[in-house]
Amino acid sequence: MSEVQRKKYSDKEKNSIFDHEFMPHIDSMYNFAYRLTFDEDDAKDLVQDTYLKAYRFINSFEQGTNAKAWLFRILKNSFINEYRKKSKQPSKVDYQEVETYYNSDNVDYSMTSDLRVDAVKDMLGDEISNALNSLAVDFRTVIILCDLEGFTYEEMAKILDIPIGTVRSRLHRARNLLKDKLRSYAENMGYDTDEE
Amino acid sequence: MDKNLNTSSERKLNCSDESKCFELLESILDGEETTASKEILDEKLAKCQPCFEHYHLEKVIREVLKNKCTKHMVPAELADTIRQKIQEIK
Ligand SMILES: [Zn+2]
Repeated sequence: MSEVQRKKYSDKEKNSIFDHEFMPHIDSMYNFAYRLTFDEDDAKDLVQDTYLKAYRFINSFEQGTNAKAWLFRILKNSFINEYRKKSKQPSKVDYQEVETYYNSDNVDYSMTSDLRVDAVKDMLGDEISNALNSLAVDFRTVIILCDLEGFTYEEMAKILDIPIGTVRSRLHRARNLLKDKLRSYAENMGYDTDEE
Repeated sequence: MDKNLNTSSERKLNCSDESKCFELLESILDGEETTASKEILDEKLAKCQPCFEHYHLEKVIREVLKNKCTKHMVPAELADTIRQKIQEIK
C-alpha cells in the first residue's frame, strides 16, 4: 500500500464503507487474530491496528471487491511485521523444519490415513481446536482461511501473497498434519486406528 | 439404507491413481472444482474404495473444523475503541 494515493472517497463515503463493509467482519478478524497470537490483548491490538490501517488506506480499497479478504491481508501482514517478532511462538522455525521435512513443491496426495470418520466425529471442540492450534502458524493460517472462514484458493493466494499452487499444497500438508494430531487423540480415546 | 454408502463390495479396492484422485476430491470439497465435478465424484465414490474412504475422511475433517472450532467472543468494547481511534485520526 502506497502512502501516496488518490483521494477518491469523500468523508461520508469513507464512513459508509468503514461501517458497512469493514466493521461487519470484526468477529472473523478477532477470531483470526486470536488464533494467530493466542493472546486476548495481542489479538485486540492486532485487530485495532488493522482497522486503523484500513481506514488510513481506504482509498486503495476498491468498492465492490472483497472487503473481508482485503482486511485479512492487512491483518496477516501486520502480524508478520509486528507481532511475530515479539511473539513467544517459535512458529517460523517450526515451519522451516516442517518445510524441510516435506521438502518439495509436489505434494504426494496418495498418503492415506487410517484415521476413522467416526473417531473424528466424536471429537470434542476442544480437541479439534487444540489440534489446529498446535500446527505451525503458516499451516494453521491456511486451515483457518479455508475451513473456518470459507475463502477460495484465489482469495487465499491474495491474502498470503503466494501462488495458488502453493495454497493448494500447503493446505494439503496442513490437513495431513492435523490428521496426525487427530489420530494420536483418537488413539488416546481408545479408538482402534489400525486397518481391520 | 442408502445403497451407495454401504455396498463396498462393488468398489475396487485399489485406486488406479490415488495421487490424482485425492487431489481432485480435495479440490471438490474445497469448492474449487465446478465443471462436471458432481458426475466425476459420484463415479469415483461408487467405484473406488480408497477414493470413497478418503473423501469421507476429508469431508468430516472440514465439517468438524467448521462446526467445532468455536469462535472467540469479540471483547465488547473493541468496536467502540476502534471507532474512537478513527475519530482521533480523522
Ligand atoms: Zn480412486
